[in-house]
Amino acid sequence: MEADVLVIGCGPAGLQAAIHASRKKASVLVAGKAASSGAYGARIENYLGVPSRPGEEILADGRAQAESFGARFLDMNVMSASALDGRFVFGMEDGSEVSAKAVVLATGIARRLLGIPGEKALTGKGVSYCAVCDCNFYKGRRVAVVGNDSEAAASARLMTSYASETHWVRWEDAADEGLASKALEAGAVPHAGRPKAIEGDGKVERLVLEDGAEIQVDGVFIELGARSSADLAMDLGIMPEIDDTVKAGQDCSTEVPGVFACGDVTGRPWQVAKAVGQGCVAGMSAADFARRLE
Amino acid sequence: MVTELNESNFDSFVDENSLAIIDCWAPWCGPCRRMGPIIEELAEDLKGRAGVAKLNTDENQGIAVRFNINAIPTILVFRDSVLVDTLVGLRPKEDLLAALGFR
Repeated sequence: MEADVLVIGCGPAGLQAAIHASRKKASVLVAGKAASSGAYGARIENYLGVPSRPGEEILADGRAQAESFGARFLDMNVMSASALDGRFVFGMEDGSEVSAKAVVLATGIARRLLGIPGEKALTGKGVSYCAVCDCNFYKGRRVAVVGNDSEAAASARLMTSYASETHWVRWEDAADEGLASKALEAGAVPHAGRPKAIEGDGKVERLVLEDGAEIQVDGVFIELGARSSADLAMDLGIMPEIDDTVKAGQDCSTEVPGVFACGDVTGRPWQVAKAVGQGCVAGMSAADFARRLE
Repeated sequence: MVTELNESNFDSFVDENSLAIIDCWAPWCGPCRRMGPIIEELAEDLKGRAGVAKLNTDENQGIAVRFNINAIPTILVFRDSVLVDTLVGLRPKEDLLAALGFR
């Protein structure tokens, strides 16, 4: 699939970018899932003209508005990104490709931590947040991958090539079905349930689930949510800040021409009003950039 | 430039620097690539006070096993040839300097 502009993220920043890019007559695709936006579960009470309203409703209306101007929603996360011959090419969850002339990064900031006992103390002692980085250290050992989304499915599949046992712990079916089946076919053992604690004496020995089940493992890979904003930025040639944010100029441009950033990914304040303002600018800048290439 | 270590020069580097700081990394690791420039700066800041080097764990898996490295980036800190600290994960230079006792 091709478009002038791919917006990654469908929170307030991404939706506003989609609206303004579409209004400028750019063809716009939107990747991401509304439920992963920080605004989705929040009640918004400090946004101009909106005294108090669930974020979910604002996002649903915003999507309808963007669609009315021609933006198309993919309802899928981006798994990989690259810059090729003046175009940006993205690998999607279902294995399809999207190519675009300009990109709006409106990914927000990913939540990486599970926040359970043992997680912090055992980080680097069996707890890892990057299967691609650390798979090599688990050859012939037992691991659990924790996470619901396609990233977790892909990581579980990857780990089956290294580990002697790969357990995949999830509490929702949020991954692409094809990717999930591939992980299971490769031998990942599924567990339905939320993790409660990571235990071990100086190193990971077991993962305990809320129902009391214990999985004996040497490593726990925590892979929550979609591919992180920092990873996507790096795929596109942008060096993120140490806190995973991406520097954006007044026109929301980043260090890579054609890539624009808006919303929480550009840093604090994490406010709908700021996200929407930047989304407007990023959407217009991206549409202008795409048009200049014609 | 930060010295690249391997199986043949690792031990001598640790022995020759009373404070040796070694950044363990691999090319496909995103956080490691972000750590790279921070380590370069650290080496510059600590010139004459510490030996700063890099170790590619993919090409030197024996050393990774020897020091129980399970996640990268990991920074190994040796004082007088003894491993005194293992710092796991991407972190800003200020945190590294503090962890190394430079402030």
